[in-house]
Amino acid sequence: MADDIIRVLYLDDEEPNLFSFKAAFRREFEVHTCDEPHKAVRLLDEHEFHVVLSDQRMPRISGVEFFELIMPDHPDISRILVTGYADTDAVVDAINKGQVYRFVSKPWNEEELRGVIRSGYELNRSRVRSAAQGTEVLATLDALGKEIDRMAGVLSDGAPESVAQVTSDLRNMKLKIEEEHLRYARFFSRLSR
Amino acid sequence: MCPPYGRVRMLRVLFCLMLPLWAGCGGGESVTVDALRLEAFEDATRMLRPEQVHLQRASLKGLDGERPNLGSSSSAWWIRVSGWQGAPRNARIVLDNPTLDSIDVFVLDGPRVLANATSGAALGREKDLIPTFEIPLNTAHELWFRVRSTKPVLLPFSLTRVDKAEVIRERRDLAVALYTGMVLAILIYNSFLAFSTGQRTYFSYIFVVLTVGLVQWGFNGYDRLLWGDVPWMAVNGLTVTGAFSGLSALMFARHFLEVRRYTPGWNRLIQILLGVYTAALGAALIGRPMLAYNLVNLGALSAPAMLILSIVSWRRGSPSAPWYFVAWLIFLVAVTMQALRDFGVLPSTQMTATFLPIGTVLEMLLLSFALGNRINQLKRSSDEANAKALAASLENERIVKEQNAELEARVRQRTEALAAANGELSAALEDLKGAQDQLIQTEKLASLGQMTAGIAHELNNPINYVQSNATSLNRDMEELIEIIEAHAAALAALAEGAPGAADMVERARDRARQLDLQFLMEESRQLIKGILEGADRTARIVGGLRVFGRMDGDELVEASLQDLLEASITVLGNRARSRARIEVNFEEGTPALWCQSGKLSQVFMNIVVNAVQATESRWPEAEDRLVSVQLTALSDGANAGEPTSLEIRIRDNGTGMDDTTRQRIFDPFYTTKDVGKGTGLGLSIVKGILDDHGAVIRVESALDKGTCFILTFPLHASGSKASKVA
Repeated sequence: MADDIIRVLYLDDEEPNLFSFKAAFRREFEVHTCDEPHKAVRLLDEHEFHVVLSDQRMPRISGVEFFELIMPDHPDISRILVTGYADTDAVVDAINKGQVYRFVSKPWNEEELRGVIRSGYELNRSRVRSAAQGTEVLATLDALGKEIDRMAGVLSDGAPESVAQVTSDLRNMKLKIEEEHLRYARFFSRLSR
Repeated sequence: MCPPYGRVRMLRVLFCLMLPLWAGCGGGESVTVDALRLEAFEDATRMLRPEQVHLQRASLKGLDGERPNLGSSSSAWWIRVSGWQGAPRNARIVLDNPTLDSIDVFVLDGPRVLANATSGAALGREKDLIPTFEIPLNTAHELWFRVRSTKPVLLPFSLTRVDKAEVIRERRDLAVALYTGMVLAILIYNSFLAFSTGQRTYFSYIFVVLTVGLVQWGFNGYDRLLWGDVPWMAVNGLTVTGAFSGLSALMFARHFLEVRRYTPGWNRLIQILLGVYTAALGAALIGRPMLAYNLVNLGALSAPAMLILSIVSWRRGSPSAPWYFVAWLIFLVAVTMQALRDFGVLPSTQMTATFLPIGTVLEMLLLSFALGNRINQLKRSSDEANAKALAASLENERIVKEQNAELEARVRQRTEALAAANGELSAALEDLKGAQDQLIQTEKLASLGQMTAGIAHELNNPINYVQSNATSLNRDMEELIEIIEAHAAALAALAEGAPGAADMVERARDRARQLDLQFLMEESRQLIKGILEGADRTARIVGGLRVFGRMDGDELVEASLQDLLEASITVLGNRARSRARIEVNFEEGTPALWCQSGKLSQVFMNIVVNAVQATESRWPEAEDRLVSVQLTALSDGANAGEPTSLEIRIRDNGTGMDDTTRQRIFDPFYTTKDVGKGTGLGLSIVKGILDDHGAVIRVESALDKGTCFILTFPLHASGSKASKVA
């Protein structure tokens, strides 16, 4: 997250495809290629990737199956399926089981694929960001809850000065909530754009 | 068999034959000179020696009657015989009982034994048939007999002149010979009948005759002529023949009276009596002659039992029972008379001695007539049955003739109806054929679809990297050109000695470093290599496609099966290869043959795809799935090893099939796939195509082992044509 380098992993059983891919995109992205699914799984565990591409037809495992396999551990990675020929079954599986982001057919159009990878990266970023935002929202709500508990404790004395104190605290809290609201509204509007 | 008149005549003849017996026996009494006086005591220990018997005089008891009967026991009997004193020199003492096992004679003077002699059945001597003993010279001496026998100790002592004794023996021989002659006649006659009719009853009857005859021989001691040399038989002969006689009589009764049919309840009794006789034989075998003899006597209960059985059968309607009753009654009367004689109720004359043999002969004859009668009855009933059958068949013939006419009319009607139905069916068949053609077309399209998918995938991959590499190479080339141009400009500036030339060189070097010249050059080489590889692969696939010719093409082309198989597997390509391991093993230089190449490729693809699917259903991992394709040339060895046929084996290690499935796979519309997944026409089309090529397809399969399709293409006709064209 610290840098803007897009890290891409490409899995295909045919080595010439891997080489072509690397040659085509090495200038823009940090490209890793791999011809064995289990090696790909290991690479995913070792490095943080933003986008993963896989060929559909491979000897041991299909691309969709590979995506199914990595989904529990890497839910945020954008998955792109590349295939020479797609029958209907594969397409349906890709969407339902592999939750594939995009479907690209061979021979690929380099420009188009580049755009797909970039937008995949954006999706990945926003997923990661929204996950972080979600954590933040939860933290804020927790803090507010604790504040209310505290004020309830102060009020239980029944002293007039404590009422004045709580009133001013509540005003502060309202300001804080409005501030947070504005922040999240901005974030969500950006998400939906 | 004899008519009734014949039977009467035979009886008369028999009666005449019997006369000499009576005549022979009639003069017997005159032989006896005087009645002897007998005294006896029993030696239960059987240990008493002749030297000691004079001490036992006190226990002697007088015996009365002409034929004293001491019964049967295992004791020895000592008998003092007196009354011979004063008899003439040529007088002899005769003990006319040949069944006594041993007879010892001692002439005693107090404890001294002056002379002794032995006789008896156990010795098996022919001269002992009528035991005859000389009388002592000195009238003061005592004559003692010691008798031991398992048979009843019956003691018909008499004093006879020596020449009369020989006469008795001659007459006895004559009587026995006559009896034997009659028995033999009956035996031979009935044996002949037995073998010609094959009736079981006859066989048991000839056994009855044989054994009854033997028993009579035994009573008279003549059995020692047969087995006098065998000591065991000399003692047990009478018992054994008696037991066999009883057994055969019972078996005969069972057959003759048809016990199972008329009196099934009696079968149990007959079995028990058979058991008694068998036990008697057993007892004789284990060396218990007394027990054996007593068991045979117990078995004699069967005589009255059979008589009652015959009455019962008679009342229940057995046609043979009256005959049997009469025959058996005669036998029983004869036996009873014999018993009465033995116990002294009837006078013991030679005449009464003939009752038993005559009774047995009459019994045998009557039974023989009865058997003949039975055979006649059987024949009559079978004649009647034949006549009935003939009448019935004549009647049948008439009915059949009548019905034939009617049938012909009906057949004509039915034929017309069938012709009409046939027309309808032909129309329906035409419709079905149309539908089938359509389905076959569908199946063709389906395999075309499979092919298209395979070809698309196979082609798109190399095209992809050719295209992509070209783009990348273009970019790399631009950068390389830029570096080259920078260097070229710097070199030109250096050559001209222009100011700033050193800077230009430095900039060009910087640029080369920046763009990583070494890497660019290496990458370019690799990219070009990839392009060449892709182009080559594309060319190969397209070349493979050309082998197929047109999918629909009916025209014959000369093609190599190896090329066709390779092309089919290439076209199936990743589709098959990524799902299972495909091993190929092609024999080098197999001859080409004339074929419809497109159709054959369809065949190969169909079978290989089926094979892959079968392995997928069995193994979860692709590495375990194996499909092997093998091509070999076969030779029948005739033309110097010239191949006569080509064989393709497509083997998989998939689920396999059971026999039912295996037999049906070539049936149209038979499929094991889910509804909608297959038309069930694939293999039936395969079969059709192979039939067109004169090829034979065989399938070997075992559940959970795999399947092997074996395709054999003959080379003879098309092969020679191909070689001529070539």
